[in-house]
Amino acid sequence: MSLLTKALEGIITPEMDQVAAQENVSPEFIRQGVAAGRIVIPCNFHHKTIVPIGIGNGLRTKVSASIGLYGNNAVIDEEVKKIKTALTAGTDALMDLSVSGDIDTMRKETLNSASVPVGTLPVYQAIAEAGEKYGSSVKMDAEEMFEVIERHAADGVDFLALHCATTMDVVERAKKEGRIDPLVSYGGVHLIGWMIANQCENPLYEQYDRVLEIARKYNVTLSLADGMRPGCLADSLDGAQVQELVILGELVRRAREGGVQIMIKGPGHMPLDHVKATVTLQKSLCKGAPYFVFGPLLTDIAAGYDHINAAIGGAISAWAGAEFLCYVTPAEHIGVPSIDQVREGVIAARIAAHAGDLAKGMKEAHQWDLEMSMARKNLNWKRQLELALDPQRAKEIRKTRNSGESSACAMCGKYCAMEIVAKYLNTTKHSC
Amino acid sequence: MTQVLKARSGIITEEMEAVAADENLDVEFIRQGIAEGRIVIPRNKKRKEFKYCGIGEGLRIKVNALIGTSSDRDDMEIEARKVAIAEEAGCDSFMDLSTGKDIDGMRKQSLSLAHVAVGSTMIYQAGIEAIEKYGSVVNMREEDIFEVVERQAAEGLDFMAIHCALNMDVIKRMQTVGRVTDVVSRGGAFLTGWMLHNQKENPLYEKFDRVLEILKAYDVTLSLGDAIRPGSIADSLDGAQLQGMIIQGELTRRAQEAGVQVMVEGPGHVPLNHVEATMRVQKRLCNNAPYYILGTLATDVTPGYDHISGAIGGALIGACGADFLCYLTPAEHLGLPTEEDVRTGVITTRMAAHIADITKGNKQAWARDLEMAKARVALNIDGQITAALYPEQLKASAATTTNDHVCVVCGTGCAAQVAAEYFGQPDDSMSNS
Repeated sequence: MSLLTKALEGIITPEMDQVAAQENVSPEFIRQGVAAGRIVIPCNFHHKTIVPIGIGNGLRTKVSASIGLYGNNAVIDEEVKKIKTALTAGTDALMDLSVSGDIDTMRKETLNSASVPVGTLPVYQAIAEAGEKYGSSVKMDAEEMFEVIERHAADGVDFLALHCATTMDVVERAKKEGRIDPLVSYGGVHLIGWMIANQCENPLYEQYDRVLEIARKYNVTLSLADGMRPGCLADSLDGAQVQELVILGELVRRAREGGVQIMIKGPGHMPLDHVKATVTLQKSLCKGAPYFVFGPLLTDIAAGYDHINAAIGGAISAWAGAEFLCYVTPAEHIGVPSIDQVREGVIAARIAAHAGDLAKGMKEAHQWDLEMSMARKNLNWKRQLELALDPQRAKEIRKTRNSGESSACAMCGKYCAMEIVAKYLNTTKHSC
Repeated sequence: MTQVLKARSGIITEEMEAVAADENLDVEFIRQGIAEGRIVIPRNKKRKEFKYCGIGEGLRIKVNALIGTSSDRDDMEIEARKVAIAEEAGCDSFMDLSTGKDIDGMRKQSLSLAHVAVGSTMIYQAGIEAIEKYGSVVNMREEDIFEVVERQAAEGLDFMAIHCALNMDVIKRMQTVGRVTDVVSRGGAFLTGWMLHNQKENPLYEKFDRVLEILKAYDVTLSLGDAIRPGSIADSLDGAQLQGMIIQGELTRRAQEAGVQVMVEGPGHVPLNHVEATMRVQKRLCNNAPYYILGTLATDVTPGYDHISGAIGGALIGACGADFLCYLTPAEHLGLPTEEDVRTGVITTRMAAHIADITKGNKQAWARDLEMAKARVALNIDGQITAALYPEQLKASAATTTNDHVCVVCGTGCAAQVAAEYFGQPDDSMSNS
């Protein structure tokens, strides 16, 4: 029985109990959320090492880091190092987005190294294998796509990103509308190319019931991807994007009816004033399914700093109701992220998630900030560094940007204002 | 005649012309904005021509960097390099917040190096000189405060942050509401200590007309300091902050009436759901004067990454109407920024400002993003570098990144190429997932 079916039958599973304890809410709150589809707990029956997490309404906003083999020079060991870095930096989930090389081994390594939920995008592998087998990805047999999906599910992947709603209608809409950048999603682009070359509908849409069957069998959570996510501000909320979202809504309903947990992937590039509308549309059309957003990036021009760009968009999305943030690294739009960039990406996404949680009034988020501010007030440096979102970085900077062991910091030096004012307010010493 | 008095008399100045050209706007729009106090162009009449920046409604959001020595890090050469870095990274102005040994010397150095507007927080120097002369900031003499205002104005500072809006009412309110982090503004703390010790009203509030007189003589733009800004998420929009805003509003009107350009400084640590209200109240109370924001920091817990926390808040408050963003660096809350921190701070804050400009429908900002989008679609790397927020970074990354083409596995009939042909596009299959 899938987790969703159990929740619908009123059963509280150990996974729900664990998530309830992590989030400091009642198991019944989790069960109801899962039953209603507002919360998902991605946990494949075959992923033995997993510590389940909950993603959805009323829970702490989660972040996901992506790794994977790209190109000829990619090495599995390097990617495993990135996984470890991402976990140390505090990611809540991982995606292995390998597109080439020994994809099967990479996936197994990821599942073995990760105590967090793992997601994949099986179409990448289907394309790569078709390329090898036939010398051309357009010659892929639809059956092979389903075979790869089942392979990933059987290996223990907890959530599968699939472009089930990128239909011919949506593709034609994109062409009609004259999108500036219609080729944004790597998986989506290949799937679209295959559909056009073979003049047939998207098999993942047409045979969606088969997708559901596999997902149910292994208790996999679907993470339906958006082939038409906007790749620049000018394309945001255009007809193609919205049409795909309408279809995603239809597929959410069918997944729930089929006892399959589901979340929806989202943009992409959009101006700040589209964020709330985008999240509201998704919540309405997809009936409260958790929203897994990539960024979003609020400007197109921040190459080299897109992790910060995405942190701004992610924070506002989380506030607006998106529950799951896919990280963006400083290498976005430039190349494959280094280990350091993976770390930067995770931290930036976590900052965004936390800022969103504060804005939503989540108690534990506010408690964390309050404790930090009290530590500042008391000039308690040890505590401040412990409470920092990234204690290691805070320590490094404190060490390298100061001289001496003063209770203040080099910004104010001996003129630490907080010490002066504390004396006259008869309170303890303060730090800014 | 000051800039604002000229604007009111219908005179178009060279500063207005330069700003209009820079913003691609009608100069009459600028003149009117200045006349009504919605726009300021900081420029001390003693300063030679520089790259003027207009700050206010309808204009691109501007970015300020902070430099300056402190008692722990007192090296004027490093600070000179920071000025160059901040300008290269694209700041629109900077403030010299020195509290080291030679504050006068630092200010002269900053003014001589700057190609942009320069500001200061005058009470630092008054307070530190009092400590040197009389042993404590609480022994500072009233006359000394006004002497420093005059000295700094006479030397050519274009804008001066002065904590005039801190008065006894505000301090009492703060004591009543019980804050988590009472006063986090260093200038505000100097004055709070002085006022409580001497049981006297803030001279900069009580004798505000004297402040205005000095600023008017040199045509310095007043940046009304925010002594009571929230230093923690928990203190945002409390009674003390609001009381301070009300006083800022009162003084803003008086400055505007006196013919002195004025902008208003604001928070601080603000949760995202407070940002819009903060901005609305401030603009309402302060007669739509330009709003100069520190941050806003969207969380308290990110030492080491406060430039990111500040960019999150800054983009949103900019979208809600803030006109001028003060940068935050990765060193915030931890120490004095390095040169690299300064660069990172300026670029990050520029990104926040740009995102807000986009949101407000600024045409130049939209054109830049469209240029980037088109360069990406055309796989035009040079075009992407030109359109980038910080081209140097992208140029360096592009040179060192080995961008292995992943589609080798597809062989000849790559599906992505089919899709590209269908849409009449070059093959952009390197895009992520």
